[in-house]
Amino acid sequence: MATEHVAAHKEHPGPRQYVIIGVILVVITAIEVGLFYIQATPALIVWLLLASSLAKFLLVAGFFMHLRFDDRRFAILFFVPLLIMVALAVALMAMFFSLTR
Amino acid sequence: MVALANIGVLPRPVHPTGVWSWLTTVDHKRIGLLYGATALAFFIIGGIEALIMRAQLAAPGQTIVSAETYSSLFTMHGTTMVFMVVMPAGAAFFNYLVPLQIGARDVAFPRLNAFSYWLFLFGALLMNFSFFVGAFPDIGWFGYAPLTSNEYTTTAATDYWLLGLQVMGIGSLSAGFNFVVTILNLRAPGMTLMRMPLFTWMTLIVAFLIIFAFPPLTIALTFLLFDRFFDMNFFNPAANADPLLWQHLFWIFGHPEVYVLILPAMGIVSDVLPTFSRKPLFGYPMIVFAGIIIGFLGFGVWAHHMFTTGLGGWANAAFAGSTLVIAVPTGVKLFNWLATMWGGSLLFKTPMLFALGFISMFLLGGLSGVMHAVVPVDTQQQDTYFIVAHFHYVLVGGSVFGLTAGVYYWWPKMTGKMLGERLGKWHFWLMLAGFNMTFLPMHILGILGMPRRIYTYDAEAGWSAWNAFISAGSLVLAVSILLLLVNIAISLRRGEKAGDNPWGAATLEWAISSPPHHYNFAVVPTVHSRYPLWDEEANVLEPPPLPPHEEPLMPAPSYWPLVVAFAIVMTFAGLLIWQWHALIGIAFMVVMALTGLRGIYGWVFEPLTVEAPEAVQAHS
Amino acid sequence: MYFDTTVDAHRTSTGLNNRKLLIWAFLGSDVLFFGTLIATHLLYRGRSLVGHTEDIFSIPVTSASTFILLMSSLAMVLALSGIQRGNLQTMRFWIAITAIFGSIFVGFQMFEFHEFVQEGLTPRTNLFGSTFFTMTGFHGAHVAIGVLWLWSIFFASFRWSAGERNSLNVEIVGLYWHFVDIVWVVIFGVVYLVGAYGAEDRILPPVSWFGG
Repeated sequence: MATEHVAAHKEHPGPRQYVIIGVILVVITAIEVGLFYIQATPALIVWLLLASSLAKFLLVAGFFMHLRFDDRRFAILFFVPLLIMVALAVALMAMFFSLTR
Repeated sequence: MVALANIGVLPRPVHPTGVWSWLTTVDHKRIGLLYGATALAFFIIGGIEALIMRAQLAAPGQTIVSAETYSSLFTMHGTTMVFMVVMPAGAAFFNYLVPLQIGARDVAFPRLNAFSYWLFLFGALLMNFSFFVGAFPDIGWFGYAPLTSNEYTTTAATDYWLLGLQVMGIGSLSAGFNFVVTILNLRAPGMTLMRMPLFTWMTLIVAFLIIFAFPPLTIALTFLLFDRFFDMNFFNPAANADPLLWQHLFWIFGHPEVYVLILPAMGIVSDVLPTFSRKPLFGYPMIVFAGIIIGFLGFGVWAHHMFTTGLGGWANAAFAGSTLVIAVPTGVKLFNWLATMWGGSLLFKTPMLFALGFISMFLLGGLSGVMHAVVPVDTQQQDTYFIVAHFHYVLVGGSVFGLTAGVYYWWPKMTGKMLGERLGKWHFWLMLAGFNMTFLPMHILGILGMPRRIYTYDAEAGWSAWNAFISAGSLVLAVSILLLLVNIAISLRRGEKAGDNPWGAATLEWAISSPPHHYNFAVVPTVHSRYPLWDEEANVLEPPPLPPHEEPLMPAPSYWPLVVAFAIVMTFAGLLIWQWHALIGIAFMVVMALTGLRGIYGWVFEPLTVEAPEAVQAHS
Repeated sequence: MYFDTTVDAHRTSTGLNNRKLLIWAFLGSDVLFFGTLIATHLLYRGRSLVGHTEDIFSIPVTSASTFILLMSSLAMVLALSGIQRGNLQTMRFWIAITAIFGSIFVGFQMFEFHEFVQEGLTPRTNLFGSTFFTMTGFHGAHVAIGVLWLWSIFFASFRWSAGERNSLNVEIVGLYWHFVDIVWVVIFGVVYLVGAYGAEDRILPPVSWFGG
């Protein structure tokens, strides 16, 4: 990480792209709610719901928060604690639900 | 709109000296000194608490203090030493030194820095205020649930403890954010990350640990607050809650916290050793990466505090493994320090002696720590004096020895005067002797089976002789600290004048005058190497002081950090009033919250510098 | 100006603006804050002894409030896009929309809390009540602070000129706002949908919610 480094910004998206992302977010939410009312293997639905939440998360973080276009170090500053938190949560759940006994 | 835009433009505090200049200061050096003085005051209080405990335990069956008082003593001794002594002492150094070491004129957010200090101070005072209402916290510094529930602590003591800790935690968080940005962004030209002094590096890691480890504590304390004040169920076994949740959250914070306490000392030692060995630090990148690895692994070892809670074999095995692994980077650092001294022309000045004391004593603490990684061994040692011995070797033998090395090393820079070398050596040898007399026998007592946190014991237990010896040792330790205070008093009154660079050290803070001008660097230096002052090519020596009209424009003092911090602590304290009278409490909290909000607007709309034309224009 | 940390991004060692770095560090820390709240809620899932749990959720109603919050995020990013192209008028319009949608979301949440209490679920009832109200309450508090922040920007902006400094003010409140939004994305997905899936004896909101 050299000093006086001026981050090379990729072109930020314009209002058109933002609206498209907004529409995609709404569609995913609609699909999620639809999934919720489907009677199917719970495991499958749960994984689909988690995946769609992750997709929305990444869309907002990547486009609305500009992580895809902005300096990569901001993304590191955000995703490292996120990974730590996910690891902590998984470890805690393993212990709480007696998977480690 | 006029009102909103003018909201911050109040008369600015202008006093250059006196009480108001300290209350409104945003100068990182003054804030550092405030942290240092506060830490020293609490060090004396925490030390007295320890001495009372040692007096009580000096002989079997004594009744100097009651069992209840003894519980309060070990609770407040632990809480004080961790949160009000070692953490702020580290903060004192990183406030004072980091901008100097990276060639900056202040931190990135000077008013946020003052805000952090005031929150720390007010939180500490709030917790200790419990003494005056006759309810000293007695739940241990770890405050395990469900002992902290309304059912088992009926006084307000636990409330003071949790509210004080919460406020101090907010202060630590804001300091953490500030130093992350300061160290990453305010480095002088040429000061790449891998040219930063080691103390600054370790501070950067500590700042990251604080901002990632304190939120779980904040949440745990919030749960406790809601349980105690609003009868929720987070730690209530009757509602099928698992009290172990507290232990998990507390140690998810608590183990990174251990590294928050030790890494500044490691950084200090890594700066002191090259100076007094007259050669560069051996394996600089290895020490840096070891610090980073320690920071990450610190989040993955918390359950080794909980081996006896029945987490199950796989959990125990995993955390035993991660605990063994975290010893490796620490070992790497130790070998690098030894290799730094190898072949150097060693100068045994007082800071060097304390650095060597740190290395040897911390090694012992680290080794007993590795023993605890072995689950069956830990099961034997859990809650015995062996554990007490272990963490005092880490926190006193490690942190306090390292921080004391820093005091002797940087005191000339901070005050312009030397500390007495003769008294300093007495201080060191007495402290080393007293420390080992106090804590080495605790290993033996632990193995003999003496449990922690008991206020007295039976003569037939066979622990009497060692306990008497330990209490005598604690007096030696106390005398050595007294020598430090005497040394400080003498130095302030008629200490030998220190030059800009009394130790012939190599990092940027030694290029400027002692004590530094309020703007630190007349000309921001350009850095070409890790040891700029040893580097003949470098031209970083400070030009003569600037005439007043050429001084760089510095951030102006401000009332707002003090106002906002006060409003926050009072809003929390309002809960205690609420317990007594709901309506008055709510009214008080609302008034205080509004004061805080007003303060935040004042802060935001107040220009940082007084005569900055652009800044004023932007708002008016 | 050495200390005007708001303008001079290129003078910092990393080339990153101080305030933007600060807000990202804060958000990184807030990840652990909300992460711990959500994790605790999941750890205590299925442990409540009495009272309502996930069966009390009304997915259609919460879907509507989720939609509002997502749209507020879109409005937020359009506000930023406005000021970045030097159009303060556009920015103010979308800032106001964001703040109003945020207030509607808070309104939904107050309505939801009120209904839950009416049906006998309070923070004291059981573990689910404690963790649910605390988690969503802290999220709601974040939204409320964001609304206050947005209105402050709205009114302050009448004295602004379009410039890099002021566009940064909008960008920073935007980062905060989107973060609060993605926290809700996680809560809605994990706590509401996954949490209540399988408890669908109550997939439609109770009649009482509509005054029946």
